[in-house]
Order: sequence, then structure tokens, then C-alpha cells
Amino acid sequence: MREQHPPLDHIGRRDFLAVSGAALALATTPGLAAGQAKRSGEIAAGLSERMLTLDPANHYSISTTSVLRHLFDPLIDVTNDSKFIPALAETWRPVSNTTWRFTLRKGVTFHDGTPFNADSVVFTLKRVHDNAKLIKSFVYQDIESVEKDGDYGVIVTSKRPFGSLPAHLTMLGMLPPSAGRNEEAFFQKPIGTGPFRFASWTHGDQIAMTANPTYWKPGIPKVEKVTFRFIPELSTRTAALRAGELQVIDRVTPDLVETLKGTRGVKVLDVPAIEAQRWIFQLGREPVKDPRLRQAISLAIDRGVIIKELLRGYGRPVDSPVPPGLIGHMSLPPKVYDPEKARQILKQAGYSNVSVDIVLMKDFYPKQLEITQAVAAMLGDVGIKLNIKNLEIASAREQRTAGTYDLFFSGWAHMPHDPDWYFGQWFTKAGSEKLTRYSNPRVEQLIAEGRVPDPKVRQAKYEELERIVWDEDAEIWLYYTVAIYGVSDRLRNFEARRDYYVLLSDVGIV
Amino acid sequence: MRTYVLRRVAQSALTLLGVSVLVFVILRVLPGDPARMLLPDGAPESAVLELNRQLGLREPLIVQYGLFLRSVAHGDFGQSFQYRAPALRVVLERLPATVQLTVAAMLLTISAGVSLGIVTAVRRGTRYDVAGTILAVLGQSLPNFWLGIMLILLFGVALRWLPTSGFAGWTSLVLPAVTLAAFPTALVARLTRSSMLEILNRDYIRTGRAKGLAEQSVVLRHALRNAAIPVLTVIGLQIGALLGGAVITESVFAWPGMGKLIVDAIFFRDFPVVQTVLILSATVFVAINLLVDLLYTVIDPRIRYS
Repeated sequence: MREQHPPLDHIGRRDFLAVSGAALALATTPGLAAGQAKRSGEIAAGLSERMLTLDPANHYSISTTSVLRHLFDPLIDVTNDSKFIPALAETWRPVSNTTWRFTLRKGVTFHDGTPFNADSVVFTLKRVHDNAKLIKSFVYQDIESVEKDGDYGVIVTSKRPFGSLPAHLTMLGMLPPSAGRNEEAFFQKPIGTGPFRFASWTHGDQIAMTANPTYWKPGIPKVEKVTFRFIPELSTRTAALRAGELQVIDRVTPDLVETLKGTRGVKVLDVPAIEAQRWIFQLGREPVKDPRLRQAISLAIDRGVIIKELLRGYGRPVDSPVPPGLIGHMSLPPKVYDPEKARQILKQAGYSNVSVDIVLMKDFYPKQLEITQAVAAMLGDVGIKLNIKNLEIASAREQRTAGTYDLFFSGWAHMPHDPDWYFGQWFTKAGSEKLTRYSNPRVEQLIAEGRVPDPKVRQAKYEELERIVWDEDAEIWLYYTVAIYGVSDRLRNFEARRDYYVLLSDVGIV
Repeated sequence: MRTYVLRRVAQSALTLLGVSVLVFVILRVLPGDPARMLLPDGAPESAVLELNRQLGLREPLIVQYGLFLRSVAHGDFGQSFQYRAPALRVVLERLPATVQLTVAAMLLTISAGVSLGIVTAVRRGTRYDVAGTILAVLGQSLPNFWLGIMLILLFGVALRWLPTSGFAGWTSLVLPAVTLAAFPTALVARLTRSSMLEILNRDYIRTGRAKGLAEQSVVLRHALRNAAIPVLTVIGLQIGALLGGAVITESVFAWPGMGKLIVDAIFFRDFPVVQTVLILSATVFVAINLLVDLLYTVIDPRIRYS
């Protein structure tokens, strides 16, 4: 995957971006020259997760990120194949390992007509760094300074290398500095530079937006109005799509695919997500701190059966802790199903009647209980007793913090399309202190070295550390998730995203 | 009298104080940590500590409670952790949807339940009675979520007569109101039926018929009035149940009401929202009790408090 990442030198990136930009423009505006697109119709989407705030810095919700992408532009966008492309930043490059320089797009205005410039970027980044009440604040704590370099240049320096900064910035919409005057009022009726303007919001129910006719990207948006409705109940979401009230819904589960496929005017799109389902171990605790037991558990699980029977094929076998397409992915030896070898290892290690507790966050992941029960049977087959503790989310997390678990059912969407967060969180001593209790000085060092901006260096460091954790069976990597969307066949150009976003800016409707 | 009123008001205030202490303490002894629920799964420990500090949760409990009381006295119930907005506003925003749904379901319960009860009682033993009784049994035994989904599939997806979900105009109210009303309607229908049957056998009904009163007048004026007392009691109780029991209906129809709000608030340990809802409802309850007690003296002058 390495060669897919843009080269680092300035000119090379520009060329690359020009080519990919042109390719995107061609792909997204069939039959229309840029700027001549006619705008018509409206689209309503049903999302699984309630949006609780309109502040781009104050949440880590995937639904909210994709909704707010329509109101606000980030500096950088990410494509479905995890390439970083210009949004409000035209170019960016590392000046050194701890310094990034961003060159901003000129001629962009906020919805109220004020120009977008370096002041907006400085304000947005300083705000998320300084205000510890904001949910995203912790991600930006490595930033040391954010300085203007002319009206359309920004220099960000960090205390330590921050190679994943561009990735994180794909999730952070840029605000006008005037937002700081009265934040509460601003986020009741927010103003961004995005393809749509805020129209109305009913807390927890729906948000409506109208097209921004002066959007900087020609021909976008394609429709006059979009509405996002928040419908956590999947059967309700599905019914609204089938009744024609919605044109797209997210997070369809495999068992509803056939129903949707059988509905006239509805189609199902799926794509392997950038999410891995993985069970974590409490590595500071007997008996699972013993790598032999972990290996036996891994060998005793038939991942193929889970994917085929329980997920109806909507899952992908794992070959790395990092899903394909992201920096750091590599193809490692598959995690095979070999109960005989598992029994042998257990016997050699002297385990008999070993019993392991797994904690689940109740109803958090689709099919989690069925999958765990299936695995319990598989482990029972080789002589490991798996005790399932299906707890309310807050209590489950409390147990994880306290370390009173052996296994914990967990998933990880590599959200900014970068694995640095994942590694830093689960495989460093500081990060995993209240989680997995993982500790390996070599891995720790590789993670630190992998924070530099150079993608070649990062790939090499990640490959080395992935080999280590893969061999240690530090987690049970079960499968990569598949993202499933239900879509009206009236939509044109809708892309099933690997990050679960529902993006409608260049989607049309007939 | 005045001392009595003053004493009762003081007692009510004390009750509310007790409620606030209970709510405050119970929420905080629950396992689970608000910051951990707000931050993405697997956020660094330092961020958890810092956010809890920002939310004021690292102060000693007694200090937290004191600060809370002081702001409540000023009408400020704190900021919702989840919504990052004043808890009172978040709760009040949900109120209209809840009231609308409850009132609609209640009207449906009273009109359909009582009519069904009368018809099945008057036509006892006929096929109307059998049909009505089957309906009542179904209404009481079908689970809410199942009935809701079936109604959505029939009227929303297949026939497309009504919207499947959401909160937009009276058409979107029909299906959730019917779903929510199914159980209490059945209950009221069965109760009305048995109560009516008992009354219809009384001597004064026979007398009424004997002196040539129209059947309609016998049933509606003489029988129903007397049969209504136990029915009214049950309807009163059902209003409370409807307000609290709408969680499932709200989920199925994506109805932005209070039931779902409070359940989510408890799951996500959004203390200010839970406190606001509970303290507000306790206040309403205590106020109504106080009012009723005081009204006794007005209605019945023989009652005197000293």
C-alpha cells in the first residue's frame, strides 16, 4: 500500500493531487462540465447514531462527523481509498518532523460572507487545543503552536512528531473566528464554508440544510436540500427507506440485506470497512497473560464459520491489525483454525479446566452475543470455558478500567484513516494503562518512531510492530467489518464509504 | 389554617430536598464514569481525568451537591454532559412531543376503550362481544414493539398511507398513538365491560326500563355514569404509565420524546439530565398532592386542619 501514498516533496504532491482531483471531477460529474451542474431535488438520509451537538470539535461520533462535513469544510478530505486530498488546504507538507505547513485555498467564504483565511485555522486549532472541555481536545494536546504565515499559510508545530495530523484534520471542520464571541449561540445556528447551509435542527431528531450556491467547488452540491434524520432503531430506519421517505440509510445488518434487496426501488451497497473486530485481553492478569493460552484461544476459533454463518458473508478475514488500504497494512500469516494444535498447546502448558471471562458491552455491536456464544462453544471444544458477562455499557467499561476481565469484546474503526491512534492507545504503556495493560518496550519505541510524517518510515515501523503483536496474539483479531448501506435507486453517484460516513455533497437524485 | 398551609409547604420543600439528595447520591454510586462514556472508546486516561475535572465530578460529593443546590435555586439545572447544552432546555425541548403523544393516546384510550366496553357489555354474548373481547385480549397481550413494527410495515411501507416514523404533523402521530394506546384501551374496555355488566343488572336500571326510558338513556345516562368511577380511576393511573411507558414506542417510531431521553441519559450517565427530569417530576407530584390536600378543605367544609 506504500506506493499509494503521495510522495512527500511539494511538487510531487501537487502533481498527484492535480491528477487525482481531475479524476474525481470526471467521475463525479458525468456529462456536465464543472460549474454548469443543475441543482435539483432533495435527499433525506437516516442515520443510526443521534447527533448531539453541531460543534465539530466536541464529539467523536461518526454520524455527526459525516453530517457536519456538509456544513463545515475541513482542511483536508479523505477519499474512500484512504488518500488525503485538498479541501480548505490546497497543499500541506512537513517542514520538519515536528512542523507542518498548510497553504490555504483562496477565495473561500463562510456562509455569512466573511472570508476564510489563516485566522480561521488558527482560531479553530487553538480552540480545540486550549479548551479541555471539548471531546476532541485530547487528540490535539501534542500541538505546541499554531502560527499564521501570511494570510493563507499556517504553520503548526508539535511537541513530538505528529505525522497523523493531516488525518486527524479530516475530522475537524473549520470555524470562523467570530464563533468565539458566543459559542453557545453560534452552535445553535452554525456557519461554515461547507456545501450546505444550516436550515433547522430538532435536537436528537433531524437536521435540515440547504444548498450553498456559492460553494467553492464548482458543480457542488447537486441537490437543493438535504435532511439527516436520526433513527437508532434499525427496523424503523429500514421501513422508512422502503416507504420512500428516506433515500439512504447506514449500518444495515446482514440479516436485513435480503429484505432490502427484495424491495422495489431499493438497493444494497456494501464495502469492507476500515474497522476490525478484535477482542482485547487483560494482559496483566493470569491466565491470559500467558501467550501460549492466547495462542490456543486464537487457534480454537473458526473465524470462517463466524463470517459465513453469523455474518452471512459480510465480514472479511483478518491479515493484519490494520485493515487494507490504510498506512501500515501488511499481509501477515492468516489466523488459522486448528483445534488440534490448540489442545496440544494447552496440554504442553499444563492447562486443564481453564476458565476465561469475556465482558460484552450490551447491544453495542451487532450480533456480538451470538458471535460470543459461538466462540464459547468452539473454545469449549478444546477445553477452555468461556464465561460471558453481558453488561450495561458503563458497567462494562468500569470493569475494563478496573481490569477485572480476561477478554473484552471490542471493535476499532481506524477513524481518521490512520492507525497511530489505535497503536498509541492499545499498545503503549501509558495508553493501555486502564485498558489492556500491554507493555513491550520495543513496540513502544516503534510506535514513537512511527509518528514521523514520512509515510515510508511509518510503514516500515508499523510493519515491524505488527509482526510482534501478531505473533504475541496480543489481541484476538476476528474479522474486518463490512459497511452495508440501503440506498434508493433514484440516487446518483452515492458512494458506500469505508468509514461509515454518509456524504451527499456530490450525490444527485432523479 | 395558615399554620397548616405553611407547615405543608415546608414539608413539601423538605420532601423535594430529600428527593434531590437521593437522586444525586444514587447516580453517583452507580458504576460507570461520565467522561469515559463521553470520550471515544479507549481515550487516554489523562483525557478521562481532565474531562471529569471539567465536568466538576472530581470535587468531593458534598461540594458537588452544594454547588448543584445553589444553581438549582437559581433555576439552573446544569449543562447536559451529552448535549453540551443546559439540561433544562434539553428536557423542555422534548416535552411537547411527549405531551402530544400521551394526550393523543389517552384520547384514543378513552374513546375507543369506553365505547368498546359499552358495546360488549350491552351486546353480551353476541358476536360483537366475542369480537370485542378478542380485540381486548390482543391489545393487552401484543408486545408494543411488535405491534409498532407491524403497523409501520402495513400502513407505512405496504399501503404508504402514513409516515413510518418521525415527528412531523398529525399524520406521524397516528401510528405511535395507536401503538401506545393499544394496551390501556384494552384494559379500559375490559374494565368498562365488567363494570357495566354489574350495573346493568341493578334494580334501578330495571326500573328505568320499566318506566319506559329509551335504551340509549338507560345505558349512557344511568348505567355508564355509575360504571365510570372505577374506569376513571384506572384511566388516571394509566396517564402516569403512558408518560413513563412510552420508551419503546418512542424508539420504534423515532419519536423525540422524554422517555427515550431519560433512558439514554441514564445509560450515558448524563447526571444533569437525569436529575432535571426526576426533580421536575417530583416537584409536579408533590405540588399536586399539596393542592389536593388543600382543596379538600375547600370542597368539604367539614374538613378542618389545625
